[in-house]
Amino acid sequence: MTPLLTQLAPESALVLTALAAIGLGFKRRPENTSNSAPTLWLALCGIVAAGILLWWTGGENAGTPEAMVSTNALSRLFQGIVLALGFVGIAIPPAPGEVRHPGEFHALLLFALCGLLLVAGTSDVLMLFVALEMASLSLYLLAGFSRTAKASEAALKYFLFGAVSAAFFLFGLSLVYGFAGSTSLTVIGDQAAAGKLPLFAAAGLVMVLVGVGFKLAAAPFHFWAPDVYEGANATTVGMVSAATKAAALCALFKILVVGFGGVMGSSDWGAFQVGWAPMVAALAVVSMGVGNFLALAQKSVRRLLAYSAVANTGYLLVGFAGGADGALAALYYVVVYALGTVGAIAVVAAVERDRGSDAMDSFVGLWKRTPGQALALLVCLASLAGIPPVAGFFGKFAVFTAALLGSSGTAWLVAFAVAMSAMSLYYYLAVLKQVFVRTSTTDENLHAAPLPVSHRLAIALPAVALVLLGLFPSLLLQPIGEAVVQFLNGLS
Amino acid sequence: MNLLWTILAPFAAALLVFLAPPRFAKWLALAACALAMAAAANACLVRLQDFDAALWSFDRNWIEAFGIRFHLEADGISLVLILLTGIVAVAGVLCSWNVEKRQRAFFAFYLVIIGASSGVFLSRDAFLLFAFYEMVIVPKYFLIAIWGSEDREYGAMKLTMYSIAGSALVLLGLAVAFGASGTGSFDLLDLASVQYPPALQTWLFPVMFLGFAVLAGMWPLHTWAPTGHVAAPTAASMLLAGIVMKLGAYGALRVAMPLFPEGFALWRGVIAGLALVGIVYAAFVALGRRDLKFVIGYSSVSHMGFVLLGLAMANLWGLRGAVLQMVSHGLIAGLLFAVVGRLLYDRTHNRDLDALSGFDLGRTLPGAAVVFTLACAASMGLPGFSGFAAELSVILGVWQSDPWLLAPLAAGILATGAFTLRALQRSFFLKPASDAPPPDALPPLTPAEIAGVLLLLAGTLAIGLYPGPWMALIDDGLGSPLFDALLGGPLP
Repeated sequence: MTPLLTQLAPESALVLTALAAIGLGFKRRPENTSNSAPTLWLALCGIVAAGILLWWTGGENAGTPEAMVSTNALSRLFQGIVLALGFVGIAIPPAPGEVRHPGEFHALLLFALCGLLLVAGTSDVLMLFVALEMASLSLYLLAGFSRTAKASEAALKYFLFGAVSAAFFLFGLSLVYGFAGSTSLTVIGDQAAAGKLPLFAAAGLVMVLVGVGFKLAAAPFHFWAPDVYEGANATTVGMVSAATKAAALCALFKILVVGFGGVMGSSDWGAFQVGWAPMVAALAVVSMGVGNFLALAQKSVRRLLAYSAVANTGYLLVGFAGGADGALAALYYVVVYALGTVGAIAVVAAVERDRGSDAMDSFVGLWKRTPGQALALLVCLASLAGIPPVAGFFGKFAVFTAALLGSSGTAWLVAFAVAMSAMSLYYYLAVLKQVFVRTSTTDENLHAAPLPVSHRLAIALPAVALVLLGLFPSLLLQPIGEAVVQFLNGLS
Repeated sequence: MNLLWTILAPFAAALLVFLAPPRFAKWLALAACALAMAAAANACLVRLQDFDAALWSFDRNWIEAFGIRFHLEADGISLVLILLTGIVAVAGVLCSWNVEKRQRAFFAFYLVIIGASSGVFLSRDAFLLFAFYEMVIVPKYFLIAIWGSEDREYGAMKLTMYSIAGSALVLLGLAVAFGASGTGSFDLLDLASVQYPPALQTWLFPVMFLGFAVLAGMWPLHTWAPTGHVAAPTAASMLLAGIVMKLGAYGALRVAMPLFPEGFALWRGVIAGLALVGIVYAAFVALGRRDLKFVIGYSSVSHMGFVLLGLAMANLWGLRGAVLQMVSHGLIAGLLFAVVGRLLYDRTHNRDLDALSGFDLGRTLPGAAVVFTLACAASMGLPGFSGFAAELSVILGVWQSDPWLLAPLAAGILATGAFTLRALQRSFFLKPASDAPPPDALPPLTPAEIAGVLLLLAGTLAIGLYPGPWMALIDDGLGSPLFDALLGGPLP
């Protein structure tokens, strides 16, 4: 095999599986088209195969850092993480009858995942844009796949906001290209190391940040998030909230730390310096404020999770505003965050199957109906709220602490983040209160219908992972740290 | 016996209760708490025989990237406090013998609080201590919200938000201290060995101290305590007043003060002032309250004021008195809440001081009357009970540092006597009106209750009659190099 084919083996596996899924969809009898289980399992097998190929072909670096697709420790690690998160997201089955063409549905999900793998695997801005759009176009379609009014609204909003931000992103990239004469982040990094950007290149950087901010659901580019989380099918929401966020954050890491590490500037109190750090800090503050305050008022758990996603993007950006150490911690926290959110979405999907709604009161008495789901939700939400011994506690602690390493000037930002994070416990507890404290007045239907095996996997895997990572954070922190060091060494 | 049992046994039992039938839950909880108490008592006795021996410690790598270690160590202060935890835990289980609703979950949450509290008292790594400290918050919420009485959801949420706000301040303090220390370690001794810049100490000390003091019930942030106690079930009140409030005071003593001695020196006047206001104010509020649990809740605030006052004196007698008062008040508050919540309220379903006279409790519940009288005597600080030894030590400390503070303190002590006697007389010894119908016979005291109450009573008498060994243990703990900067050099 040629080196390029070896490097792209996991992506190829996903694409082939996607094609097979479409084929399988065509072959089925018309009366049976809404059974999504066969293509779902096919997709999961494809992801596992991609994971095996990834592990098998990983190891040594391939491709120069300037190449469009380059293999290195960081990209391999994040491709693995994105695959794992995608596995959990896709394992959430659509509700019976919700999706009419499961072959296409799962093929699109695999295409999206393939795009996200490429996002994690490239250090070239052009490739990054193409890969992001490959994922996004699939996700726009997927958001509207169930053809309800809400799903259509979600898809339209997602598409319109996405198209505008993609335009920003691309225009920004063109300006950056004009400045550096190359689309490779390494070359851009060398050019920008001088410390001062010309005005048009700075404008390009700002536009790039807007584009990535949209993917990450950073306020004020978050307006699509609540509607997509509420209207789209749960599988898509799982994909948007977890795998997409991890891949986008990996891209942000490369853009800011590799491409523009030299023009970071400073967001220190009283010592502001022009650069991306003050801008990231501003985005962080707005995201945390908007996300947390609006989450307080939500009655729908899906919308609540959407605002929690906005808030968590804020915490992630706090890490970036603190520099390379903080960005590294943010890479760790994004995994923890994604696990917590996708696990919570899986439970919400299960409750919807059972009660037909994601309103707060649908969760009343969940502890009595299905203790397993209730426990998993407890673990996921406790992790999002940052309560030990689950992983979110150390994740937030690491981000906040690392953001302060070396300078206590960002203490104002961390103080705000800590305060917001404390407040967030209120709305997570509001959900858990329904689950554990309230008891339903009517005793009807105490037993929930049994869930498909894949759905149980989607609920159990994140919870188990969060407990494990909570007790032994080094399991993931160590590899990420080593991969980042290797990656950065490989550049210089 | 290994002191790890004080942490492991409760946590293990918290998981095991779900495997056994519900009726075994209380036995499992009792066994785990008894094991923890026995391990602590044994360790105290061993330490008393040989103060020159090496301290028990347990030190393992945990999260290397942040220099976080799983480091436990048992000096004298830790020992007396885990012994207190064990005693109150056993008594609390015995006073929850009648819990019928969702027993397994009740004892699981209960045991997590016990295990985490022991963890706080034994930790020598600041992050580990903080992790255990945070672990208490959510189980506390559920204990009150599910098993509490009127306004339980409000009381539970208020307590939780106060706790998490305090934790947020502590987290900020720890993160800034870690960044500023440059030691790359979270070990308390390492963090305390650094001379932080005075400008930093000036603002960071109050942030961290306030964070801990919220949980210690410092005026004016004490309001969670009365509402929380009133809403809580008996065992949760006992844990709250007996152990959880001590976690805050302990954190202030073990983390905030040794890390920032100069900041402390600057702010100690303010702390002493707030502590004094708390002592006097809470006593006067208790004087005017009719709900017996409110009275005792405010008495807790008042007595915790002594702890804070002792800490603020920063001399040997002050710190000694503060730690001894933590133990003493833990036992006495546990006892008071056991009598009011379990012995009285569960029988009469009434806590109103005006209505209780109708039950003629002195006659119908003579056992409870004896216990409550003794408990009130202890609470007022009569000689022979632990309150006397502890408060006298604090007063000695005040006399050495700021004698003029004794004048307002005397007012507080008088008011304490007044509200305690008022509560005692009105609850048990008021003759019912002559034309009132004769009171119903109340169920007699059960063996479990008697055992629990006697255990606490024995503890307070042991300290009151023979404070020597307790003082010796506390002095042993204060001899740690951690407190050198506070006490102006090693102890003689």
